[in-house]
Amino acid sequence: MGPITGPAAPVGGDQLHFAQLAVLTDNAANKTRITLVQGDTQLNPAQATTVSQQFISNNSIVAVVGPAGSQEVKAVGPAMGRAGLAFISGSATNPTLTTGPNPTFFRVVSKDSVQGPQDANYIVSHLHPKALMIVDDQEVYSTGLVSSMIPVFQQAGIKVDHESVSQKVTDFSSLVAKVTPDTTVVVLPWQLAVNAQQFGRDLQQQHKTAVIFGTDGLFDPKSFTIPGSYVSTFGPDITSIPADAAIVAAATAKWGAFSTFGPPTYAATHVIDEAIASVCKSGQTPSRANVLAAIKTTNEATTILGQPISFDANGDMVNAKFFLFKINSSGKYQLIPSS
Amino acid sequence: MSFFFQELVNGITTGALYSLVALGFSMVYGVLKLLNFAHGDLYMVGAYIGFFIIQFFGGAAHVDIPVPLLLAIMFVVAAGLVGGLGVAMERFAYRPLRDAPRIAPLITAIGISFFLESAALLLFGSQFREYNTAEFISLSSGIQIGSVTIDSVQIMVLVLGLLLMTGLQLLVNRTRLGRQMRAVAADREAAEMLGINVNFVITATFFLGSALAGIAGVMGGLLFNTVSATIGFTAGLKAFTAAVVGGIGSIPGAMLGGLVIGVAESFVTGYISSTYSNLIVFGLLIVVMLVRPSGLLGRVQLQKV
Repeated sequence: MGPITGPAAPVGGDQLHFAQLAVLTDNAANKTRITLVQGDTQLNPAQATTVSQQFISNNSIVAVVGPAGSQEVKAVGPAMGRAGLAFISGSATNPTLTTGPNPTFFRVVSKDSVQGPQDANYIVSHLHPKALMIVDDQEVYSTGLVSSMIPVFQQAGIKVDHESVSQKVTDFSSLVAKVTPDTTVVVLPWQLAVNAQQFGRDLQQQHKTAVIFGTDGLFDPKSFTIPGSYVSTFGPDITSIPADAAIVAAATAKWGAFSTFGPPTYAATHVIDEAIASVCKSGQTPSRANVLAAIKTTNEATTILGQPISFDANGDMVNAKFFLFKINSSGKYQLIPSS
Repeated sequence: MSFFFQELVNGITTGALYSLVALGFSMVYGVLKLLNFAHGDLYMVGAYIGFFIIQFFGGAAHVDIPVPLLLAIMFVVAAGLVGGLGVAMERFAYRPLRDAPRIAPLITAIGISFFLESAALLLFGSQFREYNTAEFISLSSGIQIGSVTIDSVQIMVLVLGLLLMTGLQLLVNRTRLGRQMRAVAADREAAEMLGINVNFVITATFFLGSALAGIAGVMGGLLFNTVSATIGFTAGLKAFTAAVVGGIGSIPGAMLGGLVIGVAESFVTGYISSTYSNLIVFGLLIVVMLVRPSGLLGRVQLQKV
């Protein structure tokens, strides 16, 4: 399940490609014949619900990779739980997803309650703004992050202008006009990189020098390239992990450049593939119940993410991390090692 | 004070776009009493046409013809092709339903809207396409008054929008075609009895309204940089609201409605909060509709009993 079409298609495209690559690789390694059924959610909770109903009624589906967005997980979680269908997201980071009514939900990424304060603390201690603007995009993912960041800024005595715009808005000129000379940082916890790119252009056109600080959704080297901006993301830069060289080469050869959204979905798919393989090795026929049980006991020592994968009782990945990148003057993303 | 003027400029620029799209809504409603919900998607098609013309001439970073010529080609081709698409829409989808119950063309319009959006998804893909305006138009060559910035694209949108609206107003009020349009809008059957070629007038109305939406699409692409198959929905919704607030069927009303919405959005965002922008703007519009149900410049329709 992912946004294969629609505004977040770059995210969904990468996720689909890496899921396909994982199935291909794992089938060869485990001698399994797992097939991938695609469901296009368009990052829309209503569409995700329709797709989840199709998956739930298809008995040959024993586990699901995705969906991408926290708002979609909220929409589909209870029904997936009732159906006993395990689902693992490679990008949904809202903290409440693993405390609410989603008993079969897992994720291979960290959560906003870690990311929000971590990013906010970095901004306070490294960028030293007197005032900042923070703009949510009216989606669960964005508002959750904003809620976890604002207390940190307020505690540091920073003047905060909290704004809110729909993901459908592409005209930011009025909002940018509100960026005062004191406002040296604009925080955009958004899901659409193209919108942030336009926001950055509007800042430049109105001669504003504020730095953009974005989160996962802005990690798109093809679409968001405003120099001097920061982007924090749950996915590592796997091109710098030697053990991932073969995966990087295969993905690049097939689809060219990719974002950090792909590798966590590879990891999510791999967890499911290994769960199915372990069920098969134990002589059972894979079912939703035994695959779910196998996923719960996942303990992968080495993974594409450069760190082990296991889940706590709520379905959160143990010791999941965030990574911070800065965009240089030529639009390239550079990892900030201290992050 | 400079903040006030900056927000005013931003609001008028956005409002000019709303007005251009709203004009098509209003014109079509005027002659056919049809709410053409596919009109916003014509804006989207116009934006795509502009994008592909930029690519045809080398891409934003390497435009191989003079930029004024490129812009002229973008506007003319978008106007022509989108105008033609509007005519085709009228000829094949709406004309056969002209005497059907009013709900039938309304549903058809919604169907055409989905058809155009899906066709764009299939043809152009789901990814955002970017005009990258700053790579071929020097935005810094605009006007700087104190801390108020009006970049060159905003100036172009304002000037072209004003010219188009003035031209349309002259066409409707001073030409033979305009008189025929007004006659058809007032009473289609009577106009037909007086020898007016009603089909031609309706076709011309669709062409003009659609062409304006196509031009607005190119302007939107230049201003906001991004194009996708789904941008028509929001543009259409705002334009429809502008047309209703101004007085649907009224050309000056559509112009005024677009500007009112654009400026209201801008000031609410600037002086209150973007969080409440839609709430306050649409709240104000409800008040306007309560006070003047026929819109700011609309006329009360008398019904014979």
